Amino acid sequence: MGDGNTTTNRGGSGTSNNSEKPEWLQQYNLIGKIGEGTYGLVFLARIKSPTNRGKSIAIKKFKQSKDGDGVSPTAIREIMLLREITHENVVKLVNVHINHADMSLYLAFDYAEYDLYEIIRHHRDKVNHTINSYTVKSLLWQLLNGLNYLHSNWIIHRDLKPSNILVMGDGEEQGVVKIADFGLARIYQAPLKFLSENGVVVTIWYRAPELLLGAKHYTSAVDMWAVGCIFAELLTLKPLFQGAEAKSTQNPFQLDQLDKIFKILGHPTLEKWPTLASLPHWQSDSQHIQGHKYETNGLHSVVHLSPKSPAYDLLSKMLEYDPRKRITAAQALEHEYFRIEPLPGRNALVPSQPGEKVVNYPTRPVDSNTDFEGTTALQPPQPASGNPGPGNMGISNRNVPRPMPGVGMQRMQPQGMMAYNFPPQAGAAGGMNPSNIPMQRGMAAQAHQQQQLRRKDPGMGMPGYPPQQKSRRL
Amino acid sequence: MSDFQTSTHRAKWIFTPQELIEKYKAANRRAIQTLEKYGTTQMEVDVDGSFSYPEPQINAKDNTEKHSRSKPLSIEEEHSMRVFYENKLREVCSAFYFPNKIQATALLYFKRFYLQWSVMEHHPKNIMLTCVYGACKIEENHVSAEELGKGISQDHQMILNYEMIVYQGLEFDLIVYAPYRPLEGFINDMEEFCQAKNGQLQMLKDLHETARMEVDKIMLTDAPLLFPPGQLALAALLSANKMHRVVDFDRYLTSILSRQNSAHTISELIESLNSIDSWVMKYKFPSEKDMKHINRKLKSCWGHNSHDESKKREKKSKHKSKSSNEMQNGP
Repeated sequence: MGDGNTTTNRGGSGTSNNSEKPEWLQQYNLIGKIGEGTYGLVFLARIKSPTNRGKSIAIKKFKQSKDGDGVSPTAIREIMLLREITHENVVKLVNVHINHADMSLYLAFDYAEYDLYEIIRHHRDKVNHTINSYTVKSLLWQLLNGLNYLHSNWIIHRDLKPSNILVMGDGEEQGVVKIADFGLARIYQAPLKFLSENGVVVTIWYRAPELLLGAKHYTSAVDMWAVGCIFAELLTLKPLFQGAEAKSTQNPFQLDQLDKIFKILGHPTLEKWPTLASLPHWQSDSQHIQGHKYETNGLHSVVHLSPKSPAYDLLSKMLEYDPRKRITAAQALEHEYFRIEPLPGRNALVPSQPGEKVVNYPTRPVDSNTDFEGTTALQPPQPASGNPGPGNMGISNRNVPRPMPGVGMQRMQPQGMMAYNFPPQAGAAGGMNPSNIPMQRGMAAQAHQQQQLRRKDPGMGMPGYPPQQKSRRL
Repeated sequence: MSDFQTSTHRAKWIFTPQELIEKYKAANRRAIQTLEKYGTTQMEVDVDGSFSYPEPQINAKDNTEKHSRSKPLSIEEEHSMRVFYENKLREVCSAFYFPNKIQATALLYFKRFYLQWSVMEHHPKNIMLTCVYGACKIEENHVSAEELGKGISQDHQMILNYEMIVYQGLEFDLIVYAPYRPLEGFINDMEEFCQAKNGQLQMLKDLHETARMEVDKIMLTDAPLLFPPGQLALAALLSANKMHRVVDFDRYLTSILSRQNSAHTISELIESLNSIDSWVMKYKFPSEKDMKHINRKLKSCWGHNSHDESKKREKKSKHKSKSSNEMQNGP
């Protein structure tokens, strides 16, 4: 196992009863609160230890689940998924800290200065011109690259939206995209339950039509729909389908959202989407959705693209009604759009042409008036001790900001804290692995053949960019 | 699901038999040292999920006296205790009609947890229930702790107290791979391999059924800590095939090895499969008498009753059939 932490953590409650900061917290300088979401708060902190001194870390605090049912399932789900995955375009979990006093979990990620929500907003409200095509293409390519990795690992994100797509600030990874916020992500191999029973997912603006129509089983295609919406938003700086959310019941029918989609893409037809007839909301037609008639597809004029351009071709394939025909992440990465100038690059934020102006995006606002619970004033720095945090990456959690009653109201008891450092990659420890037969899914699940094809896509898991030579095809 | 090849399961939780023995030894040794130092081995778990050792005994003389009565469990006895509660775990899962994936996940959690801890430190009954609870959470079959507790007449607060400790013991590596799915994969593959016709399809179905029961058996041994799930599934198929004689197994193994471009030879693979089988063969469920004895020892390790002999005797006579009904009367 090669992780000595278990032993050092053992009996962690110790005897100290003074008001010192918990040991794990002492390895950070808290800068302040940078976000809050449904599940908790996000803080910015800097590492104190000499090896990584000054490195910025985002710490996401999960409040305990409210119904008195133990550790937050959202936190657990995010941890368990992030423990298994490593990819340049996915946030990496570097540390988990436990506060026993209130059973809350603190997840430490490398800090990312920007996200697509802020980048788009900055262009719309401040810069007043669109994002340059190199940046759009690079952001999209990296987003797809990360998503392809997730999908080939049988993970659906389910909550892709601009605020969950982070972009690294200054440093070695400048301009690199990181997909964040896996609180709603699901493993979708052989679900024990219908996935839809797990409640509402995906902010409605980015929600795929099959979900809006009540599909019981859904697939990685829902993420691709969201990517299409994000792509359009990068191009126009405006959400593509800005429906008003119906909030009456538990899982209400989102008529307005569907109407917004139909208005732009035209009405779906059984001809183009055969399984449409079996979707509950279409079938029942309780709100006469079948009756709405928008004949034409006006997408190209909304996004100001020529219907013949590769960008439009890719976008329309992402916004394909039938989830089975919708383009996959692997296919999208191969699309012609990424093979023509300007070619996508690793640093999405540098100008593509010499002499082009660099856009200076605003840094994240930090509320320095909080402590790690989000309540009182910042404590003075303490002498460094504890383990050096090994890692990298960032996270934000600026969902639609919602009030969070209760978070941070409990007093944190320092003695209950335990740190959890993850070894960088635990490969060394395992010892023998006699002929690992990779049968785990390869041979199972014939139903997922599409995904099996994806798995064969080379470059999966390897940050790479489309080969340069190939791309100059014109 | 994420890929087994890059999983924490493969990287961190598959051991050599020697490593396993070392871990069991180390946990046992540590518990014994604790017993010597504190007069008890049980960790105190608070409602907030934190835990600590009890205060050291002040009266040294009294202490020594007590210790002479507190006999720690041997490694073998710890093993019996785990075997016993793994069966209880299965009973709980069956009572709730949980799918076998949840049962397998809970079993693996339980096995992994006791690589870090001695049964003298955390009572396996508590850990077993918490593992079931955690497995349900992870496998998206959420059952509230209250529901779970109620269904088996246990205090659900105890489950919640232990939850974080269990996740920590598992180092937050919560995705585990059970052999049931690879088994399905092999069966599908065999259909192609034999180009199965109607009659043979039924035979493969029977083979699958028997192999599934073989996997159930394997899951109760230490083999899941020693071999990857694909091999566990193959071992189950091998022994099921001995009964049903559906495929030429050597030929089948050769075929999958060649298709996988595996670096391993068929003899290595067969050796692994035989070794898995030997774990099943030497599996032994402890007798009621053994369990009675172990439970008594365990209680003394926790300092229960030892300060009051008369009370102890009284309690004993009250619960005569105790070990057979451990679930209801655990400490």
